[in-house]
Amino acid sequence: MKKIIALLLAVLMLASVLAACGGNKTTNDQKTTASGDVFQGEDNVTLLVWAPEAAVELTQQLCDQFKSEHSDKNITIDVKPQEEGDVAAQILNDPSVAGDVFSFACDQMNRLDKSKVLDPVPKADDKLGFDYAGEVKERDSEPSVEAATMKGELLAYPETGENGYYLVYDKSVVSDEDAKTLEGVLAACRKAGRKFNMDAGNGFYSCMFMFTGGLELQGLNDEGVQQFNKYDEEKVIDSLEAFANLFHEYSDIFQSDNVDKTGSGFAQDPRSVAAGIDGSWNAATVKSKLGDDYGAAKLPTINIKGTDTQIISMSGYKLIGVNAQSKAPYTAHALANYLAGEKCQLARAEKLSWSPSNKVAVESEVVKANLGSMACLEQAKNALPQVNIADTFWAPMGTLGNYLVKTKDITRDGIKTEFNKTITNIKDE
Amino acid sequence: MIKSYKIRRVITNIFVYILLGGLGLIWISPLVYLVLHSFRAEGLAQVDYLIPKSYSFQNYIDLFTVTGGGTNFPRWFLNTFIVAIFSCIISTLAVMMVSYAFSRLRFKARKPMINIGMILGMFPGFMTMIAIYYLLKAMGLTQTLVALVICYSAGAGLGYQISKGFFDTIPRALDEAATIDGATKNQIFWKIILPMSKPIIVYTVLTSFIGPWTDFILAKIIMGSKIDNYTVAIGLQNMLAAGKSLTQFKMFLAGSVVVAVPITILFLVMQRYYVEGVTAGGVKG
Repeated sequence: MKKIIALLLAVLMLASVLAACGGNKTTNDQKTTASGDVFQGEDNVTLLVWAPEAAVELTQQLCDQFKSEHSDKNITIDVKPQEEGDVAAQILNDPSVAGDVFSFACDQMNRLDKSKVLDPVPKADDKLGFDYAGEVKERDSEPSVEAATMKGELLAYPETGENGYYLVYDKSVVSDEDAKTLEGVLAACRKAGRKFNMDAGNGFYSCMFMFTGGLELQGLNDEGVQQFNKYDEEKVIDSLEAFANLFHEYSDIFQSDNVDKTGSGFAQDPRSVAAGIDGSWNAATVKSKLGDDYGAAKLPTINIKGTDTQIISMSGYKLIGVNAQSKAPYTAHALANYLAGEKCQLARAEKLSWSPSNKVAVESEVVKANLGSMACLEQAKNALPQVNIADTFWAPMGTLGNYLVKTKDITRDGIKTEFNKTITNIKDE
Repeated sequence: MIKSYKIRRVITNIFVYILLGGLGLIWISPLVYLVLHSFRAEGLAQVDYLIPKSYSFQNYIDLFTVTGGGTNFPRWFLNTFIVAIFSCIISTLAVMMVSYAFSRLRFKARKPMINIGMILGMFPGFMTMIAIYYLLKAMGLTQTLVALVICYSAGAGLGYQISKGFFDTIPRALDEAATIDGATKNQIFWKIILPMSKPIIVYTVLTSFIGPWTDFILAKIIMGSKIDNYTVAIGLQNMLAAGKSLTQFKMFLAGSVVVAVPITILFLVMQRYYVEGVTAGGVKG
């Protein structure tokens, strides 16, 4: 009996040791191929590209163009659908079967960087001999480059100029003038007896309550603890209080629910929502439902102690990364750089309404004609880039949002306690 | 006295039925919501009201016709069906044979093996998941349906306890009689024991068939990003990704209803044997 168990355990251990060895070996091998000397672009390459479902077709077309531009090499590019929010989980599961080039949302930057699955963008002094990093810094907007940078190193190629949220409203109920202030929007919603929807229980959105009060994020320190600027606590509390009071005043029409509810509300007959804060990824669908009534603007202002203050939000970005385990790093980087370039960004703006990060593309007529894009880009100027944020940030932030919306008889002292608790929890002390 | 007893009974019954009715309502309401809204024609993801205003088959039609990009329900359905059939056949055979051996045969390693089986069965399955992934990878089987069949059926023999218990209740006198008539152990298994064990076979078939339809974690880890080889469970979850959920939520509801269809059909077909087996007598024949 004991012998059998011992034998079984020994076999199991041996198997796991062997498996671990195998894994390490392949990564080492690939490292050595990656540091070849002069860029030539590999021949007979097969690249796997991940793009979200909506963009698969277009990405394949763009990749085909890339192929024809490098027709001297035998390149096969396969574009597979992979939703951006799930990219990190999929890659960390097993990088060796993941896409060589993939589009992802920048909130996953930390996780990807920690496990070193992103191959940094080549710099001039790199052995690759190509200054893609320099090109990116020159052609793309500053915050998008910042979002792609970790500890001074550019790790990915900016793909869009924003991937955040904006104010969307039904023009037949909320006028463009109303949409300038949060008070105006809410009053118009109440007049029409329809809801205003935002996801106040989600840290990605509820952080605006703090940011508007002057709090800023300043990356992580060496131990991975979230750092803040020297904020004025009273001002942050003022902002939180202003939001809380406004939500309570309009509790009959203020709805805190998933962003999808905004679009769903517009699609209902009769429409149950008059305005809401929605993600730019839903813009195309919402626009098709609202038709001519589609109104889009940057986030409104809120009256804090008598002054109308612009709401500061968090802006995400879509980035294109190159897998550090790619068997063809040269071609992969060349392709990523191509996909992130002006021409491809314009194509995406035209076909998918993704707003460009490219400084030239952003000035194009296509982008200017797109209300949703313009609203998001405008809001991105009043937003903190979503970069280098601790994993512990989101949950406490969401809790604070819920507290502000759902607590009855809310007091300044209560908010203060909750705020300090939130900061402590984010710092994970 | 009788009268008051009657009244007492009526009052008790009223309370009991109200309680049971309430519980039943709570239990059935998500299913009703799911089915009703899978036929909802209007709106996008969610609506504020419970009863849809208009009905259509559009969601079901979309479910089987929208197959571009990252959504391909017919393919996922077929994948799951294939995996379910194979793992169902293999694991039912494995469970029955293991149980028969443990119940009827006497050999030296019997007790130790029963114990090892029990102990191995106590480890939660997801503990070994990463190991399973790397073993499959070493065999070059990751992201394939074969891998799923192997995972769902290879360890099935460990779940012998219930069938062994059932076999133990079949009198050994039957075996002995068959032996006297010249039957081998193999013949006894196929011709005597199995025909008498329909309820437990049905139970094993059902549980092993349902497994692949509902398993999420293992399938997700093995399939990774290979969308063409997804099973319905991961596929349906995939429909709710940010950016897709707004337009595909109703398809998701329809998909959840469709998943129940093959399981229900299998159960209805097998139910006959289930009841028959339970009421069938023991030693008389």
